[in-house]
Amino acid sequence: MLLLLAALPGLFWEGGVNTAPALREAGIKQIQVPAARLAEWKAVSGISAEAGNLQGAVKLLIPTVNYRMDQASASRTPWLVSNGWKFLRNPKGRFYYEVTGKPSAIAAAEALCFGAAALIKVDATTDAAGLQPLAEILEFSSGVHQDPLPPMADFGFVDDGSPAAGEVMNMLVRTNLLFEIVARPDPRFKLTVKLGTKEYPLTEAKNPGVVAQAVRGNLTDEKRSVRIYGSPVVVARLTGSAGRVRLHLVNYSGATRNVDGIRVRVLGQYPKHQLAAAGSAGLELADYSVEPDATEFTLTQLKTYAVIDLSR
Amino acid sequence: MPGPYPGQVVRVHSEGSIDSASDQVNRQLVKQMLAAGIKALTGDARTEDAWARFISPGDVVGIKVNCSGAPKIRSSPEVVAGIAENLVAVGVPAKQIYVYERFDNQLQSVGYPKYLPEGVNVQAAEASRRSILGYDPRTYVETSFFGEEDTRSNLVRLVSETLTKIVNVPNTKEHQAAGITGCLKNIAYGNFSNVDRSHRFEKTNTLSFIGELAATEPVRSRVVLNIMDGLRGVWHAGPFSEHARFRFYPKQLMFGTDPVAMDHKLIDLIEEKRKAEGAVTLWDRSPKHLGKDNTDPNINHYIREPGHVEYASKLGLGIYDAAKINLKVIEL
Repeated sequence: MLLLLAALPGLFWEGGVNTAPALREAGIKQIQVPAARLAEWKAVSGISAEAGNLQGAVKLLIPTVNYRMDQASASRTPWLVSNGWKFLRNPKGRFYYEVTGKPSAIAAAEALCFGAAALIKVDATTDAAGLQPLAEILEFSSGVHQDPLPPMADFGFVDDGSPAAGEVMNMLVRTNLLFEIVARPDPRFKLTVKLGTKEYPLTEAKNPGVVAQAVRGNLTDEKRSVRIYGSPVVVARLTGSAGRVRLHLVNYSGATRNVDGIRVRVLGQYPKHQLAAAGSAGLELADYSVEPDATEFTLTQLKTYAVIDLSR
Repeated sequence: MPGPYPGQVVRVHSEGSIDSASDQVNRQLVKQMLAAGIKALTGDARTEDAWARFISPGDVVGIKVNCSGAPKIRSSPEVVAGIAENLVAVGVPAKQIYVYERFDNQLQSVGYPKYLPEGVNVQAAEASRRSILGYDPRTYVETSFFGEEDTRSNLVRLVSETLTKIVNVPNTKEHQAAGITGCLKNIAYGNFSNVDRSHRFEKTNTLSFIGELAATEPVRSRVVLNIMDGLRGVWHAGPFSEHARFRFYPKQLMFGTDPVAMDHKLIDLIEEKRKAEGAVTLWDRSPKHLGKDNTDPNINHYIREPGHVEYASKLGLGIYDAAKINLKVIEL
């Protein structure tokens, strides 16, 4: 049970017990509070409180999409502000977001996707309406986040802890190239990426997109466990094993717009599926197709976060 | 494609078809142009017989319009309505006719329903921009141009699942990337998703991509007739029509089953107009003519690829050799 709790994001709340009505109205059932306020919150019914502490925790960027339509660039691909690589670099790290309103739901979705126990600090003057998006995603997660599965990856990445490696990992995450951090080439993977080698020189790492493209080319699209078609703002993560996998999908633009459909390709045959999509109760996968080497389906709407269980 | 009349193109011109001062279309003359054109193409004496060569009462017919330059230039509703009326006349129920385009906002801006026979459907593939739900997930062309993540271009679902025949109604336009946008481009980029990736950069991939998409089944075999709307035209900065000075009035309709032969004639027409206006040829590839400010008719965003028409001929979509194209010209 402790492990399960450790893998879930939570609301960090500095407000006093006089703010309890706003929390209740929003649907918040659990909070973490500064130790000095714990006693008073313990006396409040309907809201479970634990002591939380942001000291020493790494503050994360607010996950979002910058479309940058007004800037000249070599690509029209929108810029995703993602913290995924930070979770992968430091899976036991302590993190927090400082965010309110709809973006707080994206923050929670991102943390859920990467299995990170990040705290989400919301300004204590926030009213029920501002808290509600977060409450909804936390409530959603409580229904789907049982029995955590191990992450799946298509290649290894040797992280030397450098900023350059961080930038490359960021680009890999954003382009749905699934990797596992390894200390050295691992026989489980046919491909291991290490910056500073002949294949991936440090000079190229100045443009992490170039490295990501090189990795993609060496891996080949056919061998990627997950492909997303139809939207450049969805980040995927896969957990599980060959017979049973769980696909996490986050819409980084979810604070402002839904994704009206993505086509997903998952390597392997999975005739059975179960979808849970936040804010879209009753939604079904469409055009489900099990092919000789992969399973494909359409998620017709992605508001913020969805979890799809696939099995044989 | 190229259908029963390879290399055959019929051009019907009528000076009174549109008033270039008011932009008003003479609907009656357009009907006469449609009748004259289809009969000249098939050799039939009766309009119904000519249409019946392409369409049967049991068909579900799509009229593929082009609204990318709307509201100033688009498949004229008077032309589209005239086509729909002919389809009804040969026995196709109105409910089995679909006027369709990819983008709903562009399609809606034209206001086709008030011109069309009652019951004709007007439908867009993308109710919201970039939505994939109106496309067939199982019918796509997959290619990577520059390392883009989404490498698929999917066929409009209406085409693969509902339509049995398509009447293609492109406009008469120059295109900044493709050189021209006529029959082939309206079939290709008008029926598949995620195609703008082919012209993200100055050097585009339109040369081959247009033909490859147009040659993809089932769209290739479902397009049975092309009627190119040349009442209005755009000779620069297309496919849009933001600048009035680049519009002109050819006052014509072209007919054929061979999109390559028709597009070759479109190249000739746009070239002639550009030459008369003192603009560089569509075939120009000089870097000095590349730039953002295409209010200058000698400046373009891309290196144009009018060669996409000849490329399509090599895929078997039609006849490009000018010597083998038979043009019938009718004056009304």
